[in-house]
Amino acid sequence: MTLDDMPPAAAIRPVEPGYRHVLRLGAAMFWLPLLVGSIVLDQLVLHEMPIAGLAPLLVGLIAFSAIIFAPERIYRRLGFSVDGELLRVVRGWLFHSDTIVPFIRVQHIDVKRGPLDKLFGTATLVVHTAGTHNSIVMLPGLSPDNAAAIREDIRGSIRSASE
Amino acid sequence: MTPTPPASSAGSAPAERLHPLYLITGLGKVLRNAWGLIAGAVVLGSQGRWWLVAMIAAGFVIVSVLSLLLKWLKFEYRVGDDELRIDSGFLSRNSRAIPFDRVTDVDIEQGPLHRLFGLARVRLETGASAGAKDEDGVLDTIALTRAEELRDHVRARRGRAPLAAVADDLDSPPLFAMDRRRVATAGLFNFSLAVVAGLFGVSQTFGDVLGFDPFKRSFWILIADRSGPLRELILAHQFIAIIGGALVLTLLGIATGMARTLLREHGFRLDRTETGLRRRRGLTTLTDVTIPVRRVQAAILASGPIRRAFGWCELKLQSLAMDGAKGDHVVAPLAHPDEASAILASLDWPIQPSTGQWSHVSSAYVTSLAVLLVPASLVALGVGLILEPIALLWIAGAMIAVGARWLGWRHTRYALSDKSLFIESGWWRRRRSIVPTGNIQSIELTESFWTRAFGISTLRLGVAGGGGFSAHNVPALHPTEAQQLRARLIGAA
Repeated sequence: MTLDDMPPAAAIRPVEPGYRHVLRLGAAMFWLPLLVGSIVLDQLVLHEMPIAGLAPLLVGLIAFSAIIFAPERIYRRLGFSVDGELLRVVRGWLFHSDTIVPFIRVQHIDVKRGPLDKLFGTATLVVHTAGTHNSIVMLPGLSPDNAAAIREDIRGSIRSASE
Repeated sequence: MTPTPPASSAGSAPAERLHPLYLITGLGKVLRNAWGLIAGAVVLGSQGRWWLVAMIAAGFVIVSVLSLLLKWLKFEYRVGDDELRIDSGFLSRNSRAIPFDRVTDVDIEQGPLHRLFGLARVRLETGASAGAKDEDGVLDTIALTRAEELRDHVRARRGRAPLAAVADDLDSPPLFAMDRRRVATAGLFNFSLAVVAGLFGVSQTFGDVLGFDPFKRSFWILIADRSGPLRELILAHQFIAIIGGALVLTLLGIATGMARTLLREHGFRLDRTETGLRRRRGLTTLTDVTIPVRRVQAAILASGPIRRAFGWCELKLQSLAMDGAKGDHVVAPLAHPDEASAILASLDWPIQPSTGQWSHVSSAYVTSLAVLLVPASLVALGVGLILEPIALLWIAGAMIAVGARWLGWRHTRYALSDKSLFIESGWWRRRRSIVPTGNIQSIELTESFWTRAFGISTLRLGVAGGGGFSAHNVPALHPTEAQQLRARLIGAA
């Protein structure tokens, strides 16, 4: 069988735009305390050394890019498709991964919603397989309805396979 | 012991206890857990405070025997028609029910003491025991006949003939067995320097207490002093001393490898039962393990450089259950390829692709690493020529790394045929994984910014069971090739 014989791959769909805000707020909650910490450290300990001001500058730059630029890019690179009996999750650029899980291989399914997810109306679909490597495949940024729909899809095909 | 007719439910079945000799067989485990105490006693003894040692020993024996007695008194099991019930615990009682429907097989293990008294340790394999190392359904010491009865009972419950009737024993030819000579050969290849490291550690810890330390120069000079001419010879010929030391180390390593292999693999015998493979082995501790075919996820054929030169290989099966704590089940520690092929054939697994060709991976597997090392090598070259010649060592290291990568690339290939994916990798220790496509849980294609520049990506397979290090990957595929392979794997599954 060659690529041409395969059914055309379903188009990769983007996740909810609200996921950008989840990422942004998450990054802010991680980096802002670090930035404050580095400023305090700089003022108290390092202010007389030649490297004074370097630590807040570096942390500030990373925090700035993590909060302003990174969410947009992560969002743009994250996609999924539900193609018949396959779930496909594509993510990342620096470290790109393209994962396929056949529905019949799924052991159990979680739909997770943290506080940030609730704030911006998203949910994470977590698919568990029996594999040792990559046994947990996560698809964040779905709308809760969509996540539930995919879950029902997978559940339905597991049931029909076991009957 | 007379066979008890199984009652309809486990609750009404007669309660059974472990064999009273559990008080003795259980002691070994207690002793192993008390090594700190033993070490303390050795130190005290070396200081001549024997009465303290005696008191510690007496107290320890009393406490551990009492606790074992309590455990024995409070441990009861009932064999019902379709479940095993285990009640245990003194302060916190625990009642566990193990439905036989969930028991995939029954392992029987006999330590030296067990064998002396005709006892056995029984472990019920369930799905849950695959991941956790929790002692799920363990009956530590029961009579061997009772253990075999229990196993046949479980198997009968699952609609199968008793094991004894199928593969009994030494009449039918085994699928694979190792005689003494084969075990000794396997021992030769299991060269191990673990004992040297162990001795070093002991002498570091206890050397001062013992009053000598063989890893100190003065110890040997002292010994040599007592034999004057030898001392002069050694001091005069340091070169010979080094060779002698290396020789001693090698001999020690071979001896340990032999001893460990003999203890583990003595009387190795593999039989095909109707549902799986049954492996029996061991010199002092006999183990009897059944590997159900349904639970086998992948096969791994491995061989080191020396083994390969003599035409030997090792066959392991990656199963949902772990082989003790060791991960994959070794079904042939040292076998000829045709013997390994026979074992796999009995499972209806191919050992090599019958149709289709081996495909090699992209040469970018080598160049991506080589280019990565170039900038640092240039820096090292500059530093080496101008300041510090030792920096040139870095370049030698980088060249060795690239050379090893090149050799690895030459021996990395894959093939898809007979509904199985074959992956070969490694040049020093070669390894061939055989993964039936039906056992692939997920497929991942990964690339980083670096490999993307070279146009290669890695295909990673999620396969159940096995240790954490046994991931099955095909490295350095061209993206179209990788997608094609993935499509074929999904299509075949």
